[in-house]
Amino acid sequence: MDPFLTSVLSNIGLFSFLALSAWLLLIGGEISFGQQAYFAIGAYASGIASAVWGWPFAVALALGTALGAGIGALVAWPAARLSGVHYAIATLAFAELTRASLNVFRYQRDIDGYLTGPDGANGFRDIRWVYEAGIAPGTYLAIIATLLLLVIVLIWLAARLNVMAQLRMVGEDPILAGMQGIRVLRWKIGAAAAAGGVAGLGGALFAHMATYVEPAQFSVMTGVHAVAYGLIGGLGTAIGPLLGVLIDVGLLESLRSLAAYRMIVFGGLVAIILILRPRGILDETLVTKVRSWARR
Amino acid sequence: MLDLVQNTLDGIAAGSAYALLAIGFTLIFGVMRRLNIAFGPSIMVGIFLGAWVHVQWSAGLIEAALATFIGALLASIYIERLSFAAIRGDAALASMASSFALWMQLEQGVSLAFPGRTTAFPTLPPLPDIQIAGLFLGGDDLLVLLSAGLVLLVLHRLIYHSHFGLEMRALADSAEAAAVSRININRVAFLTFCLAALVGAVAGLLIAATDGQITPKFGLWATMKGLIAMMIGGLGSLRGALLGGLVLGIVEAQAQWYLGAAAREIVVYGLLFLCLIVLPGGIAGVRDTGAERKL
Repeated sequence: MDPFLTSVLSNIGLFSFLALSAWLLLIGGEISFGQQAYFAIGAYASGIASAVWGWPFAVALALGTALGAGIGALVAWPAARLSGVHYAIATLAFAELTRASLNVFRYQRDIDGYLTGPDGANGFRDIRWVYEAGIAPGTYLAIIATLLLLVIVLIWLAARLNVMAQLRMVGEDPILAGMQGIRVLRWKIGAAAAAGGVAGLGGALFAHMATYVEPAQFSVMTGVHAVAYGLIGGLGTAIGPLLGVLIDVGLLESLRSLAAYRMIVFGGLVAIILILRPRGILDETLVTKVRSWARR
Repeated sequence: MLDLVQNTLDGIAAGSAYALLAIGFTLIFGVMRRLNIAFGPSIMVGIFLGAWVHVQWSAGLIEAALATFIGALLASIYIERLSFAAIRGDAALASMASSFALWMQLEQGVSLAFPGRTTAFPTLPPLPDIQIAGLFLGGDDLLVLLSAGLVLLVLHRLIYHSHFGLEMRALADSAEAAAVSRININRVAFLTFCLAALVGAVAGLLIAATDGQITPKFGLWATMKGLIAMMIGGLGSLRGALLGGLVLGIVEAQAQWYLGAAAREIVVYGLLFLCLIVLPGGIAGVRDTGAERKL
């Protein structure tokens, strides 16, 4: 495959993890400006595991995912009592706290004569497992796509088992959901853990593709983009956030000649979409319509 | 001990500008119940228009200030029309995402118009520095403090002693009740948006003129400082916004002095996170802010 196309598709895949992570919380009725924190945690943890400790790739990925989920739940435990703006700013505060801490986090070991490991604001170089194992970019893209598909299948399964319906109830009206016997707080913490895990997995994959990560990559801008993807694509289905990523990254590539004006075009487009469809292109109404049409 | 007092003094000077930003955020949130995250970038457009007037016609501070107000006002009206007036009232999420999209637009537009990394901005008129008992207050800081104080006085007068202020407070209390009382909600919301833009523009102007140069990153910076100060103080309270701004300024100055620049960020965001968990109503102890309604 064309190397350029491979890298574009890989980027779309990696951003999709972040967008799905923010989308899961949106379904649960919360906005998080801080999912980039778990992306960063996944990237750093798996990078340390494979590059410094010499763990196998799959175990490093699992560590990134588990740490993302665990810390996600830990942050949500006090934060889920908040709502609306408070929750959004609390997640933002945690994400910036993570970024600022990574700026001073140093953990370097001598690996084959090179100092390897996170070096504060200078970033974390030489996460080389994928290259040393001789995995081609095309194969790595296949790994990303498979894992992304796995996440989507899990969400689809959750929808089949009415898990998503309960989460949507919590998101729509927590008080009413509580009166129906739904443990609102548990659902919110669970959603945050799942979202953290998805973001952590994406971050782990990102670190091994890029081989270099630095704290500045995980800024607020990244997190706000992730939320925007879900809102543009639509809150009705898990395909929504993916559509959002596709529109953004796809537009970036197709408007290469207009690259300097990309944000002006993209911003205007998003503003118009949101005026016409406040809950995104694939919103709940459209999804329900399509479902009932497909059943006929 | 002297250091501690000196840092507090410096912090209050910086914090007064943060307080203005937080008050701008609070005004918009109060009447809209929606977050305008493009507030900082709209001020950024203003100061860049000011800088353009300065570079183009070598205009002084007064002309640059006027241009700043006009720029911030125009950008805010653009945001209000597209992200708030055009989107249904109950779709607060869409408004926020839309204001973010316009933020991206404004930031790129400004970066295209001013390709340099920094742009020169006219500086404040030189005022003598003040030194009392080993404490030092720069002339610039004094001017910032005085201007911020003046704006606060005018705002207080406007909000608590004018008919428009009454309408604004009524709308902030309850949109339904305000509408029943024959208040033109859309007009009041629009004018409040403009008022917030002007307050923000004063803060932007003071910061830009103190530094003497500006970058397109100002938008993100101003949005973050304003949001943090507003949340520490207590969402929805004007007094809280003022207190939050000052506390943020003082904490930043102390952390910078005793712990260094890298630790300053950790301290500020750690404080914000803790504050939200332990004291969701902020320093002002706001109970019902309407924030528990879905954003």
